[in-house]
Amino acid sequence: MSNKITIKFTVNGDSEEREAVVGETLLKFIRDELNLTGTKSGCEIGECGACTVLLDGKPVNSCLVLAVELDGKDLLTIEGLSKNGELDRLQQAFIDHAAFQCGYCTPGMIMAARSLLERNPNPNDEEINKALSGNLCRCGAYQEIRDAVKDSAKK
Amino acid sequence: MLSFDYIKCTGLSEAVDILAKEEQAYPYAGGTDLMVGMRGGKFAPKKLVDVKDLPELNVFEESDQGIIIGAAITLNQIACDDSIVKNIPILAEGSHSVGGYTIRNRATLAGNICNASPAADTAAPLYTLEALINIVGPDGNRSLPVEEFFTGPGQTVLKKGELVQSIVIPKPFPAGKGVYSKASRTGSVDLSTVGVAVQNWGKHVKIAVGAVAATPVRAFSVEKAINEKGEKSSAEAAKLVHNDIAPITDIRGSREYRYHMVEVLVRRGLEQTMGV
Repeated sequence: MSNKITIKFTVNGDSEEREAVVGETLLKFIRDELNLTGTKSGCEIGECGACTVLLDGKPVNSCLVLAVELDGKDLLTIEGLSKNGELDRLQQAFIDHAAFQCGYCTPGMIMAARSLLERNPNPNDEEINKALSGNLCRCGAYQEIRDAVKDSAKK
Repeated sequence: MLSFDYIKCTGLSEAVDILAKEEQAYPYAGGTDLMVGMRGGKFAPKKLVDVKDLPELNVFEESDQGIIIGAAITLNQIACDDSIVKNIPILAEGSHSVGGYTIRNRATLAGNICNASPAADTAAPLYTLEALINIVGPDGNRSLPVEEFFTGPGQTVLKKGELVQSIVIPKPFPAGKGVYSKASRTGSVDLSTVGVAVQNWGKHVKIAVGAVAATPVRAFSVEKAINEKGEKSSAEAAKLVHNDIAPITDIRGSREYRYHMVEVLVRRGLEQTMGV
């Protein structure tokens, strides 16, 4: 019998009440229970950043957070950025700059970059490098990713 | 999937009680080491005691004694704190060296030292700042210097039921400059191959090195040459660090490379902080 706890939280603006299995990661909960598969599973040991989401506004590796910890918190995933079918400016900037090849790291990159722009609306190259240092892109689109973040900051 | 009971405690005494009485009970704060360790089979908790919201562990204040950093305070809170950046930048640098920004939103200073990796980036700075570790347990509270806290790789003085309540950076703060620098395989997120903290205290220097022995160590030979014998050459002083360390070869670097890099980083640290 699996051990479950009822948790209340908001996800992308909507209030939810669900049961979370103790021992399950937030990443798995987001993908399998909330069916929000934009958040990607990569290394699952906090090194690649593909699973980055914003928890109470702060970027975290959802593979290293327990689902039960979502109780009482506000969760923002990549699905929460577009409004009425329109991409937000950071998403659009990634497209404009072709800031990806396979796209697997993109949701995590965008969530980490969004948090950076909230803290620092006009970051320089070094600040972008540092803020995204926990997000790996195996295709090596780093230059374009940095350009997209800078371009989005200007708008 | 991982299998354990999750307990969110409302009081510190409740947490200590559970940790003392239950088998395989672990305190859980940031979870960045524990989650990875559980998945890799290093830890197999039956009970996970979430202590991160306990008020006693969220103290973060400056008093006459110094700066008190509760065990639930994250590395980002420390790296971004005005008083720490101004008065003890070496701790901000050490905290900032751990993982990436997302990891540091969860990882705590107390967790970094309780995990007791010889490569812990915050340990060497804490050595040079003469930090104190406040421990709470079933038999009451105790406090000890950080240099007595580690007993080996992954090993600390903590007994069953005990947990770190806070870390204190005592006053007076160092009069001079301090730097923490590390060598790692990549320029972004990696554990340190070696990490060197050099802190100028005005009239003397303190130096500590990580990832070169079973625990972080002080570079007493270098300190003695400068503080007592008046050595003026940073290059000559830095050579003496070989007497203080016993590095091994592992995936992050060879023994020989570590000897070399520690000497380089000690020399640079002395140049930057002591002007010798």
